[in-house]
Amino acid sequence: MKRISIDPITRLEGHGKIEIFLNDEGEVENAYLQIPELRGFEKFCEGRPVEEMPRITPRICGVCPAAHHLASTKATDAVYHVDPPPAAKKLRELFYCAHMIHSHIAHFYALAAPDFVLGPSSDPAQRNILGVIAKVGLEVGGEVIKHRAYAQDIQAVIGGKATHPVCGLPGGMTKAITEEERQDFEEKAKSSVEFAKFSLKVFNDLVLANKEYLELITGDIYTMKSYYMGLVDGNNRVNFYDGDIRVVDPDGKEVTKFKPADYLDYIAEHTEPWSYLKFPFLKKVGWKGLVEGKDSGVYRVNSLARLNVADGMTTPLAQAEYEKMFDSLGGKPVHATLAFHWARLIELLYAAERLLELCQDEEITSPEVRTIPTATPDEGVGVVEAPRGTLIHHYQTDEKGIIQKVNLIVATVHNNPAMNISVKKAAQGLIKRGKVISEGLLNMVEMAFRAYDPCMACASHTLPGQMPLEVTIYNSQGNIVEKLSQHLPSGSLEVRTTVVPKRTGE
Amino acid sequence: MKTLVLGLGNQILSDDGVGIRVTEELEGKLNQQEVTVMETSLAGLSLLDLLVGYDRVIIIDTIQTREGRVGQIYRLEPGAFATTHHAATPHDVNFATALELGNRLGLSLPRQITIFAIEVEDVTTFSERCTPKVEQAIPLVTEMVIQELNAG
Repeated sequence: MKRISIDPITRLEGHGKIEIFLNDEGEVENAYLQIPELRGFEKFCEGRPVEEMPRITPRICGVCPAAHHLASTKATDAVYHVDPPPAAKKLRELFYCAHMIHSHIAHFYALAAPDFVLGPSSDPAQRNILGVIAKVGLEVGGEVIKHRAYAQDIQAVIGGKATHPVCGLPGGMTKAITEEERQDFEEKAKSSVEFAKFSLKVFNDLVLANKEYLELITGDIYTMKSYYMGLVDGNNRVNFYDGDIRVVDPDGKEVTKFKPADYLDYIAEHTEPWSYLKFPFLKKVGWKGLVEGKDSGVYRVNSLARLNVADGMTTPLAQAEYEKMFDSLGGKPVHATLAFHWARLIELLYAAERLLELCQDEEITSPEVRTIPTATPDEGVGVVEAPRGTLIHHYQTDEKGIIQKVNLIVATVHNNPAMNISVKKAAQGLIKRGKVISEGLLNMVEMAFRAYDPCMACASHTLPGQMPLEVTIYNSQGNIVEKLSQHLPSGSLEVRTTVVPKRTGE
Repeated sequence: MKTLVLGLGNQILSDDGVGIRVTEELEGKLNQQEVTVMETSLAGLSLLDLLVGYDRVIIIDTIQTREGRVGQIYRLEPGAFATTHHAATPHDVNFATALELGNRLGLSLPRQITIFAIEVEDVTTFSERCTPKVEQAIPLVTEMVIQELNAG
């Protein structure tokens, strides 16, 4: 195969790219996923008071502000060596369960369901949430909106603001909740449990009951054997808010469990000249390139990873669904990348059940939500499970609490090596010599990375309102044979927006 | 007419903050009781929630076009994005899809939606300041929004 180097200047065009390289026989030789990166965050933060970080970091991403807010707040707890009172921790977790519900509902109904409810090769104009509700019923759309709004209301009341929360402080929370608020949350939590059960039923009826889809999920092109990483509580159960980081190998055996503060002893980052994003790997296993298996230090985070590393769920309904998933897919760990969607729905149910538990906790309305810090600030790490996976915030300050150094590892970066491998594997399985490369086929390549719910520099909301993805296929001479820019607008804006012709260079 | 003026973007990401900067400029310049000025970095389905209950909405956002001149201002209507229904966005649905979903679900959405979009240069570097040409557009867009409001 002719080696093609990608000009660094053309790397960043404000959108994600999948580049597929074919060999002389027309088979896929290589495939790369490139994600643009936001620049200058560390510099932006240096010199600011550390307690500002929980208010700055949610601005990184408009999609998971609550995850950044809490990882950051926990890092400030650590910087100030302060342990929040139990009620504050519970209130944070309650808030965070609402965030998980909000995020997981959107991912399933807007992003995952279209491929399954309508089919991976269906008309792209129909393959969206509108097509989904046309098929499953308009009232389901109403329920989606309603439960997203419930989750948002809970976050707004506790967080102080609808979008960018301001509730977390070193040592606790700004304010407690009232009994009236608690009662309101409890009703919303009960309704959310029912909606989560319904969502799993939709998945069961429309996806699992379809033999073709089940084969797609368990098939080789979407399977990747890797290590997994996620937070677990003291009993090795899934926890989104707190715990130790557990890693299991491709056989499901625990290889390590460590305190979040020690992450640098376990995770290292590899760089590649063609990518702005780094490639984290397990230090103990080492970097062996973009390859799967036990000898490669590549690991995965996000929903399926969390379920793979844990021994179970703490809530009864989610535990039953957890067992069902592993029973159906041949035991632990599950390596089927598309099962991230299933795991996400099990987590939706867990988040709703846990939300309800916390709403019914006697301590939840306690006014004791703050421990005033007294120690001199220095350094600290805060970790939560963001909807997309383990999120690490690490700050170093001077003795006045002024930021000297910031390090963040976000979920999409943890998954960067795995997403590249998954995309390549899907491309190799789907694009065969002489086969017409259709939109539906390329959508199936995209499904390999969409399962990870990656965050592509999503803090930017520049119109056309989404980060487009461009798929380019090169032949062995390095010429473009196919190019799809799937999400760029056309129509009345065509003359002046970033419209790349739908297919060029054929 | 119950009106919402919504600045969209991220004010710590260079030019992406221009919509929010405009809403800040508007503060104190408006005295109509029926006008609410808000800023947000939300998109997709979450944006839909904010629009419910208003008769009219004016959105200020950024745009990047292939041949665009930085600082250029576009006045758009949602129809301009009507053909971007593809679902495969990284996280959420786009504005056109969200609006159509809201309409199908019978939500009380604004009858009049106007978008002022400013052609931007840099939306990937963390900074609280816009690039110079975008900075220059701020008073202009602010004036255009005021005129739009006065025109009813």
